[in-house]
Amino acid sequence: MSAPASGTRHALEVRGIAKSFQVGSETLDVLRGIDLAIPYGQPVALVGSSGAGKSTLLHIAGLLERPSAGSVRVDGVDGWNLSPDERAKVRNRKVGFVFQFYHLLPELSALENVLLPAMIAHSPGEYRAARAQLTEAALGLLARFGLQARTKHRPSQLSGGERQRVALARALIHDPPILIADEPTGNLDSATGERVLELLFDEQRTRHFAMLLVTHDAKLAARCPRTVTMRDGRIVGDTNGSGAA
Amino acid sequence: MYKLFLSWRYLTARRTNLIGIVGITVGVGALIMILSIMTGFLDEHRAAIRGGLSDLVITPIHLARSDRSVPPREPEALLEIVRADPRVAGAAPRLVWGGMISPRGAQTDLSEVYYSHPETGNVPVVQLIGIDVASEYQVANLREALARVSSDPASARHGVRDLDDPFAAPRDLDDDGIAYRGILVGKKLYDTFQLRVGDRVNVLTAVPDPRSGAVKSNNLIFTVCGAFKTGQSEIDSDIAYFDRRALAELIGNERSFSTVLVKLHDFERDGAATRADLEQRLDKARLIRGEGDEVSTWEDLRGSLIAAIENERILIGVMLALVLLVAGFTVFAILSMMVVEKRRDIGILSALGATRGGVLSTFLLIAFWDALVGAVSGAVLGVWLAVKIDPFERWLSATIGYQIWNREIYLFDTIPSRIVPIAVALIVLGAFACTLLFAAIPAVRAARLDPLEALRYE
Repeated sequence: MSAPASGTRHALEVRGIAKSFQVGSETLDVLRGIDLAIPYGQPVALVGSSGAGKSTLLHIAGLLERPSAGSVRVDGVDGWNLSPDERAKVRNRKVGFVFQFYHLLPELSALENVLLPAMIAHSPGEYRAARAQLTEAALGLLARFGLQARTKHRPSQLSGGERQRVALARALIHDPPILIADEPTGNLDSATGERVLELLFDEQRTRHFAMLLVTHDAKLAARCPRTVTMRDGRIVGDTNGSGAA
Repeated sequence: MYKLFLSWRYLTARRTNLIGIVGITVGVGALIMILSIMTGFLDEHRAAIRGGLSDLVITPIHLARSDRSVPPREPEALLEIVRADPRVAGAAPRLVWGGMISPRGAQTDLSEVYYSHPETGNVPVVQLIGIDVASEYQVANLREALARVSSDPASARHGVRDLDDPFAAPRDLDDDGIAYRGILVGKKLYDTFQLRVGDRVNVLTAVPDPRSGAVKSNNLIFTVCGAFKTGQSEIDSDIAYFDRRALAELIGNERSFSTVLVKLHDFERDGAATRADLEQRLDKARLIRGEGDEVSTWEDLRGSLIAAIENERILIGVMLALVLLVAGFTVFAILSMMVVEKRRDIGILSALGATRGGVLSTFLLIAFWDALVGAVSGAVLGVWLAVKIDPFERWLSATIGYQIWNREIYLFDTIPSRIVPIAVALIVLGAFACTLLFAAIPAVRAARLDPLEALRYE
């Protein structure tokens, strides 16, 4: 388990996270005290068997699901201590999400999907003022991901790999300090998945954002300098040099 | 920014939204059109009623009070007081009585007319009104009603010879030794009896003897000088005008007037005050009984009729508002469907940083666009139809081969319509309120969705 050296700031810092669900009269403990700190710029693979609690941890770390106990600091901000609206703002500005099923809005073009977090962040007046700049940034991302000819296409007109690249561009439009990805290649064939991963890691090296990747794919885990292994709601292994928790 | 953008995109991307928009358009358009036409009818009826009744009506009650003598038999003293008021534009005495008319020497079987003619309702009792022409013209619309017959080439031969002297003897009148007395007959009554100008008619009435109390019948022969047409069916079929002195003669000169009609310069401004002042002055001069029921405004007298039309207008408004409710419900149904279909989008938006308030606003905005597009196009459609209702009705009648609006029933040849801007604004606002109220339920449901549940919804 990682324990950040004193004074080191982390892109993501999870402390004492527990999560239980009530199933009938029984309490199901999905997470049992998770501590995890990811420094800026570090890609971390989160592995473990199904039901280990990876996705729940991911959602709690991404400020989508409230933990039963513990705290989550994103870029130094205690996310679960904020009002819902402030938390939404942190999600918008500081966390980039990539989902297994892309989760693009079907009525929007590729470019509009990429711009969506910016539209959420700005009022109509602000957006109009920054529109040219934001559009340029979005087009730049799409071009880097080889989608310059597909900017006006709707998701239904794109292949799986293209959709995931659009989702990646959307996650990066705000240049977040941390990117959270849930099986980003889980729905792609291996060649397409490989291409997407290459783009992802290229960007990570350029922009230097931290990553928390949930994966079952050993090859993907191997690309990350650090792998955290979970079992039964606990971290049982962390290759950060400090050994198993 | 995304709320405006996404709501508009959702609106335009889904054709089912059109149903809601069309519903609102039809509801708003129909409400505006029909209320404008009802307002037009109300105006026309008010004008017609007012023209017939003048502004104020003074009806001295001919019953003695212990400390008063009976009201005067002649109207002059009363007229003098009324005309002295600067707010009064004119005053005219009338003698009103009831009787029956029987054409002399008619070739037709009159029993058929008397007992089975639908216009006369079997019993042809006619209201006999004695007037002074010059003063009557100042207060009521008789001159226009006469001109409507005599100035129309199709009916001129049934009109009076001289509008300024309508009781003047017709040309080429047979000199049969009968003393000449003129009668003006409502056009429907005139047609029912198949009268012609110059025809003699027997006017019969019953008069109570003031001394014995016994009722005796009187009759006199009158000569038809012409017909008049007000456009109001009951007036044109039930009323005959006489010179006031001639009618007084028919009823045995017991009295020469029963009411005085008063026309004001500005009824809207002075009506109520003048009514009260005249009542007080006439009471002081002992010309009326003074118990508050002898001086009335025309609205007092025909209040129930006007209230009925106004009532109908409100009733139709309420019924048509149900159309808006249906349109609102359609929006509710479409939005509810959309919330279910867009569960995943709602989860994505939350993950990307949209607040619950933002999701709520997005779905409310869809309803707002529905209402905006629907209400604005409905208002344009409704106002256009209200303005063009007459040519539209003619076109539609010609197209389907059925006369939708029968112009012969009414005084007016075109369908009346008046657009009240405040009513249009209220209808548009009502459509907005109704739509947003209905949309609030699915919008709140969308905002309450758990984003994770929504994201798992694959």
